[in-house]
Order: sequence, then C-alpha cells, then structure tokens
Amino acid sequence: MDIIVCIKQVPDPEGPQDCFVINPEALRVEPRGIPPVLSLFDENALEAALRIKDACRDQDVKITVVSAGKKLSNAVLQKALAVGADELVKVEDAAFESGALDSYATASILAAAIRKIGRYDLILAGRQAADWNAGQVGIGIARFLDIPAVTLVRKIEIQEGHALLERVTADGYEAVKTPLPALVVASNEVGEMRYPTMIQRREAKKKPIVAWGAADLGREGELRNKLVLKRLFPAEMRKGECMLVEGKTPAEAGRNLARRLSQDGLI
Amino acid sequence: MVSSEGSVLIVTEVDKNQEILPISLECVTAGKRLAEALGGGTVALIMGAGVGEAAKEMTHYGVDEVCLVDHPDLTAYQPELYVAAFLQVCERVNPRAILMGDTLTSIDMAPRVAFALNTGLVTDCVAVEVSDGEVSFVKPVYSSNVMAAYTFASEPYVVTLRSRAEEAAERQETADAGVTPVDVKLDAASVRTEVLQRVVEEDAGPKLTGADIIVSGGRGVGGPEGFEQLKELADLLHAAVGASRPPCDLGWAPPKSQVGQTGEKVAPSLYIAVGISGATQHIAGMQSSKKIVAINKDPKANIFKIADYGVIGRWEEVVPALREAVSEIRK
Ligand SMILES: Cc1cc2nc3c(=O)[nH]c(=O)nc-3n(C[C@H](O)[C@H](O)[C@H](O)COP(=O)(O)OP(=O)(O)OC[C@H]3O[C@@H](n4cnc5c(N)ncnc54)[C@H](O)[C@@H]3O)c2cc1C
Repeated sequence: MDIIVCIKQVPDPEGPQDCFVINPEALRVEPRGIPPVLSLFDENALEAALRIKDACRDQDVKITVVSAGKKLSNAVLQKALAVGADELVKVEDAAFESGALDSYATASILAAAIRKIGRYDLILAGRQAADWNAGQVGIGIARFLDIPAVTLVRKIEIQEGHALLERVTADGYEAVKTPLPALVVASNEVGEMRYPTMIQRREAKKKPIVAWGAADLGREGELRNKLVLKRLFPAEMRKGECMLVEGKTPAEAGRNLARRLSQDGLI
Repeated sequence: MVSSEGSVLIVTEVDKNQEILPISLECVTAGKRLAEALGGGTVALIMGAGVGEAAKEMTHYGVDEVCLVDHPDLTAYQPELYVAAFLQVCERVNPRAILMGDTLTSIDMAPRVAFALNTGLVTDCVAVEVSDGEVSFVKPVYSSNVMAAYTFASEPYVVTLRSRAEEAAERQETADAGVTPVDVKLDAASVRTEVLQRVVEEDAGPKLTGADIIVSGGRGVGGPEGFEQLKELADLLHAAVGASRPPCDLGWAPPKSQVGQTGEKVAPSLYIAVGISGATQHIAGMQSSKKIVAINKDPKANIFKIADYGVIGRWEEVVPALREAVSEIRK
C-alpha cells in the first residue's frame, strides 16, 4: 500500500500579527521572527495516513511525503519523517514561492511530482494551507491525475481495492466508498498530529530525502497561474472600547457584569 | 431560454426545508454589483430534487433569471452528479463569473468546478471590489492578518463568498425574473464515489448560526466540566455554546461548535468569550458580533482589545456569580 501525503511548509501561522510583514511592491508577505512549520491541516492529513499504517500493521504500508516550495527546510520537513513517514520528496525551485503560485499551478506541480513518484493507492492533502488558505490543491491534484476525490474526511478505513470514508457534512457525516487510487482531503476533525519522540527525531535523519527541481518535472518556465495577485494590505481588526467591569472580588465583578448587560438591554 | 450570455451565475443553496440560505441572498447582492461591472445580467441557479418552489421564491430577489435543475438524482449533494449537472448549465449560460456561498458544499464543489473549467478560484472572499472597471476579489490570508486582492487571468471567474460579507438581497413583492428549467443528463451508474449512508448527528441546544447570544469557551475553561458550566449559563440566556479550536481538538466541545477561520463565522448580538485569548484565527469568526464580552484572567489578553465589556478574573469565580445574577434578573 503506497500513500502519498502532500505537505506545505509555512511560516508559523500562530505568530503575532506584526510578524507578517507585507512587502506591497514585491507582493509578498515576509515573515519576521517566526519559524517555518508544517502546515497544520497537512499535519491532519499525515495523521490520517499514520492511522492507516497503525491499522494495517500486517501489511507493507509506505508513506511518502511530497512538498513543493521555494526554500524547503530539511529540519522542518523531517518532522514528518519523525512521526512515521518513510520518505520525503522535495520539489524545490526559485519560482515556486508560496505567493507566486496559485492553487492551479501548485496542483499541477504536485500532480507532476506524484506521477514521477509513480506508485500510489491513496493521496492525502490538508483542507487548506495555513498561509494562503485557498483550499483547492487536493481536488486539483485528483483532477490532473484523473482519480476520484473525497473532501473533508475525518476517518479512513482501507479495504480490498477501495476505501471507506467518513465525510463531514453540515449535520453529521456521510459514509463514502471510493475505489483506489483516490485522493482524500483530510478534515481538521481528524485532530492533531502525534508528537515525535527524541529517538524518532534522531532516526528520521536516516530516512531518504529525494530532491527534485522544476526541470525534473518538465515544469520550467510558465507557472500556469489562473489568478493574478494584485494587492496585499493589512487586515483591519475590530476595535472595541473595552469597558472593564470591576468588583471587590471576581464574583462581584461577575454580578456587576450581569447588571451592566441587563441595563444595556443585551440580556 | 437562458439569454444572458456573459452573465454572473449565482449558485443558490437551500436548507432541508427548501428555504434559501441567507448566504445565497448575500451572493445576489455581490453578484449584481459584479454583473454591472461586467456588463451582463444575473442568473440564479437552483439544483436539487423537488426544489421548484425555492426557484419560484428566488425570482423575488432581483436577479434577471432563475435556472432550475430539478432531477431525482440530485436529492442530496453528490459531487460527481452535481458537478456534471452544473457543467451542463454552464454550457447553456456561458457565465463570465460564478458565485457561491462559502458553505461546506461549495468547499467541495467550487474547486471541482474551477478545475473542470480550467479556470481560477478565489475562496472565502470577503469583498468584491470594482474600481476603474476592474473587478478584484479580496480574501484574508496569513491567519487573517493580511488581505489579498486578486484578479483573474482566466474566465469564468469562480468565487466563494464568506457569509456576512454582504447584505442579503431584499425580497420584493413583484417577481420580475422567470424560472427556466434546464434539462440535464446524468448517469448515476458512472459515479465513482458512492455514498453508502448519510448520518445525522444532532447535537443538543441552539445552533451557532442564527443564535442571538453565544457563550463561547476556550482553552482557559480547562475541560469538559467547565463547558457544562458554560452550557448552564447559555441555557439561561437561550444562547448557543461555541468554542475556540483547542476545546474542539481536545474533545471538550463538539467540533461543530468551533468558531473562527476554520469554523463557524458568527455575528450574534452578544458574544461572551470565556478563557479565550483572542488569536486572529478566532477573531476572524466572531468580530462581526454586535457586542463582545471577554472574561479572562490575563489583563493583557488580546481579546480585551476587541471586546466591549471585560472582566479580568478566573472564570471559575466570575461565571457562577454571573449565572446566578442572570437568573435573578430573568426571574
Ligand atoms: C491554520 C489555523 C487555523 C485556525 N483556526 C482556528 C479557528 O477556526 N478557531 C479558533 O478558535 N482557533 C483557530 N486556530 C487556533 C488559534 O491560532 C489559537 O491557537 C486558538 O484560537 C487559541 O485558543 P484559546 O484562546 O482558547 O487558547 P489560548 O490561546 O491558550 O488562550 C487561553 C486563554 O484562557 C485564559 N485563561 C486560562 N485560564 C483561565 C481561567 N481560569 N479563567 C479565565 N481565563 C483563563 C488565558 O489567559 C488565555 O488568554 C487556528 C490556527 C491555525 C494555525
């Protein structure tokens, strides 16, 4: 069983607002003082893959992580190997900067990389990248490879030649059966990825890393973007005039809050 | 027949009772502005099984035409069949732009449609801007710290609109538009991904969307017992219970109660945030609330910067007193 998980490297999305420095001319966000990390939702996807590996102990399950970008850090991506992926394929090119590629271009690059990897029963992707939040690449890859895609999946069970999936819906879930190979977009409801131990981190350094460039995929030159990024500007946050409701004790403050809200007609 | 060549196609969604979703009416508002800029009309599309009434209702919202695809195989959303039907409509309407609400359905359907039409897609759009005849689509990126404005290098433009980014179109007594039924050919046997079962997991209590008051808990609430207490307060206020991400990840609160960038976008009259620090990803989902109350033990917590009322203190002491006082007032 060959599983491929697509993982993006992003600047830590939980960094404070002033870390995301906008370069309006270059149309780039230049993170300052925050480390690159694995995109959170892609970690959900990898966790889903690891659970399949746990469940199919009697089988040979190989997990390959593929990542495309401009400057990819082995130290960051090795976390994926440390938690249990078997191999890492890096697709790096100066042109593959996060903001310069739209989802269409990204999906076509990843699909080309996956074709080159060649063997896959299941491809997993996260629901959206934690930097540009587009939420399209998984479906795009499936389209380019002409395989079925199922999105927002919280649970995967592999059976002979097909997979049984739980797909999150507005009021519950759907049980979906898909033939393999298929692409599955993991839902955030999969939950957090497991932590690697120190030993696993050390062992991960011995696992294979394959490095490809645009030329290896026949993808030099045009990026095939469908969107044009025109402008970047800071988001405006809501400003509240926070009225602090006080009291001699926190409990009294709580009672005063009730009174205040009632006086202001809010409760 | 569908006449408006080069128009804006608005994908209308209905709920279980065949009521048009508010987000679809918000799409109409954005769609009309977009159509004006592009020099075309607006076509609302309703797809489903037995959705004729909803299509008729849709004629009251100022669109130029309503397309109806009513087909027994479209009872519930199934990506392959819905996309197949949608692409047949596109062949007839030949739209320059396609607008959908940012719903769970469109998270799945919009990228399929965009890739099938070999075009681009802007998801989670919060503003459709027209200046000097150029239309751009703005969306939050980088944890809602940065806004990005896009134009398209391809057509049709495909855009999903975040709820509450626009006012909903108002209902008019007169219905100017006609309903045009569109026949589609679907082959249910060709479907690759088969839905075996649809399971409804009703959670108790009022739903987040549409709730007038929301009591929301964060990591500071400390565990499921804390959420029980928030539920008691919420019940007194006829409020829904929400949460930041950590309680959902940790199983203290159901995943569907998550408010924020990845969860529900809410705008109640009153949002009471308990033990929530106010990360940008959380604020992205609740900053349109009319009034925000923050209860947090850390006076420097970011949530106080966007709140209207604040109590600095441990919720374990503040909330029970608040609840008792509310129940006194409510008597
Ligand atoms: C890509 C991405 C998407 C995300 N999407 C979302 C999303 O949709 N929604 C969301 O909420 N988050 C989201 N997050 C997570 C977000 O970045 C924050 O980590 C999260 O919102 C923090 O939740 P919190 O405020 O409950 O926890 P914390 O930040 O840990 O804050 C806990 C707060 O509780 C206070 N506290 C502790 N004990 C007490 C006490 N006894 N009494 C009173 N106060 C107390 C503390 O002072 C602190 O302010 C996302 C993150 C990423 C990377």
